[in-house]
Amino acid sequence: MLLQILINGLLKGGLYALMAIGMSLIWGVMDIINIAHGSFIMLGAFVTYWLFTLLGIDPFLSLFFSVGLLFILGYGIQRYLINYVIRASAFITLILAFGIEIFINNLALVAWTADVRKVEVAYGAANFSIGHWVTIPTVRLVAFGLVILISLLFFFILNRTHLGRSIRATSQDLDGARLVGVDVAHTYALTFGLGIGAAGAAGTLWAILFPISPMMGGILTLRSFVVVIIGGLGSMLGPIIGGLALGLTESFGSNWFGSTYSDLIGFTILVLVLIIRPKGILGGTD
Amino acid sequence: MKTKTIKILVGCGIGLVLAGAFPLVDNNFVIRFGTDILMFAVLASAWNIIGGYTGYASFGNVVFFGIGAYTTAILMEKGGLPFAVAYPAAGLGAALFAVIIGLPVLRLRGHYFAIATLGVAEAMKALVQNLEITEGNAGIYLPMLDLSVRHQYWFFYYMMLATAVLTLLATHLMLKAKFGYSLIAIRENEQAADSAGINTTVAKTAAFAMSGFFTGLAGSVYAYQQAFIQPGPVFSVGMTVKMIVMAVFGGMGRLFGPLFGAVSIEVISEFLSDYFLVAHSLFFGALVILAIVFTPKGVIDMVTRRRFGIAYFLQNIREHRI
Repeated sequence: MLLQILINGLLKGGLYALMAIGMSLIWGVMDIINIAHGSFIMLGAFVTYWLFTLLGIDPFLSLFFSVGLLFILGYGIQRYLINYVIRASAFITLILAFGIEIFINNLALVAWTADVRKVEVAYGAANFSIGHWVTIPTVRLVAFGLVILISLLFFFILNRTHLGRSIRATSQDLDGARLVGVDVAHTYALTFGLGIGAAGAAGTLWAILFPISPMMGGILTLRSFVVVIIGGLGSMLGPIIGGLALGLTESFGSNWFGSTYSDLIGFTILVLVLIIRPKGILGGTD
Repeated sequence: MKTKTIKILVGCGIGLVLAGAFPLVDNNFVIRFGTDILMFAVLASAWNIIGGYTGYASFGNVVFFGIGAYTTAILMEKGGLPFAVAYPAAGLGAALFAVIIGLPVLRLRGHYFAIATLGVAEAMKALVQNLEITEGNAGIYLPMLDLSVRHQYWFFYYMMLATAVLTLLATHLMLKAKFGYSLIAIRENEQAADSAGINTTVAKTAAFAMSGFFTGLAGSVYAYQQAFIQPGPVFSVGMTVKMIVMAVFGGMGRLFGPLFGAVSIEVISEFLSDYFLVAHSLFFGALVILAIVFTPKGVIDMVTRRRFGIAYFLQNIREHRI
């Protein structure tokens, strides 16, 4: 029983980690708190839903489409909108992101109505057991594997490529990066595109595992916050630690206190971590 | 007195007379609309104290609204107390909560403070959803006001008007006092303010409590007006967004900025929802985006500087783009 809860928590935590990787990247590099992050996850989920419903494309295969489309969308939004206010106070970009969130959510609401939908794949309920006690849903395990794969890909891009070097340089010193010839506006846009692309991937996996609706973004943004804060900014490992921590806490918390308490537990942890270790579990003390 | 002071005084007088005479329109729907505008004027102005003047962008001010509403509901329904007691108690309860939560949370800066306050509001909502005394998600009923329908509308309108006037008056007095200067010093440079001998912890906490107090009062009137409240609506993030957008749209760190923002955004939203039943929130989002890009300092900055038109917009963009 305990082992089952542990595994459920870890599997869900992996998804939380993927949700938060993009947010953490955007926040860490450009100091933008992307309140609209959950809305982009929602868009990714709907890309998968429509590709499956209209064209019968397998949800796992649609990952490429959702990541690609959201990368382009993210690039455009940063390049032609956020870049125009990026040097105003951080608070201004925060409100701009709020505006984007309201816009996207309501556009989705007008286009697709508030109905809750589900991607019904034939293999959705497949699972296997280890021993007597632990049952592992296959789809969730595959999703978890993809989370690890995508995280590694991110790690590779940031640490081993020219683009990654530009992003890290811009993040450390905007003017310095510009001096050595980095196209800052382009780099910012690519960073936002990558972050939103990761949100798209999270959306696809979310659509495979859970029901989706245009208003699902708000709570996902809040959970991504919790994950980013618990893990701390500035390292690729942060969101993963944070995601697994939140997944486990929710899983054990709802087992011990009842599922209505899971939000209370999550947000209490958020506030406590901020007060005690504002730089996250991994980060140094302030 | 200087002519400018006289002008402002006359302006305030005219505004007050107009607001006071507003219920003469004799249309309950319109009076209710006026009450809503005044409520958001209180919320945005109260947010302005901590977010605009002190420079701490609280993203959880709705928690004070919810606490005010629930304090009123519990005192009146479970304690059998009159509104005259519940109203100030709601403000004080919210202020007390602001002090308790503010002492640890106000140590954080920038984004971290914003997220922490958001977390506090969400945690509080989850708590109220689970508590016995608040009757959880089912919500809680308040005693009805024993007046004719028409006079009920009048009562709530004037209560909200009084709360709004009180908020603006208190902010004005605060700005004249040393306290107001301390807050602005903290906003501009907290370390320098600290070295200049300002007890920043006390000043910040007091500003947060003041913001919470007036937000709580508005929550109290709102709860009595609705006669039924649930945790979802009175602790909604959307409410926080709205008060911040109003304050920023009007001009934060300006006395009348949030009031201006509340009136204009409510009127625009109402107009949009009349014409575009489904899509009005879509336009609202677009409005927020445009306002942030073109007038990040608020519309009141544009009005007071008498700078209109494309040149002003382009200058703002040039200042902030990369």
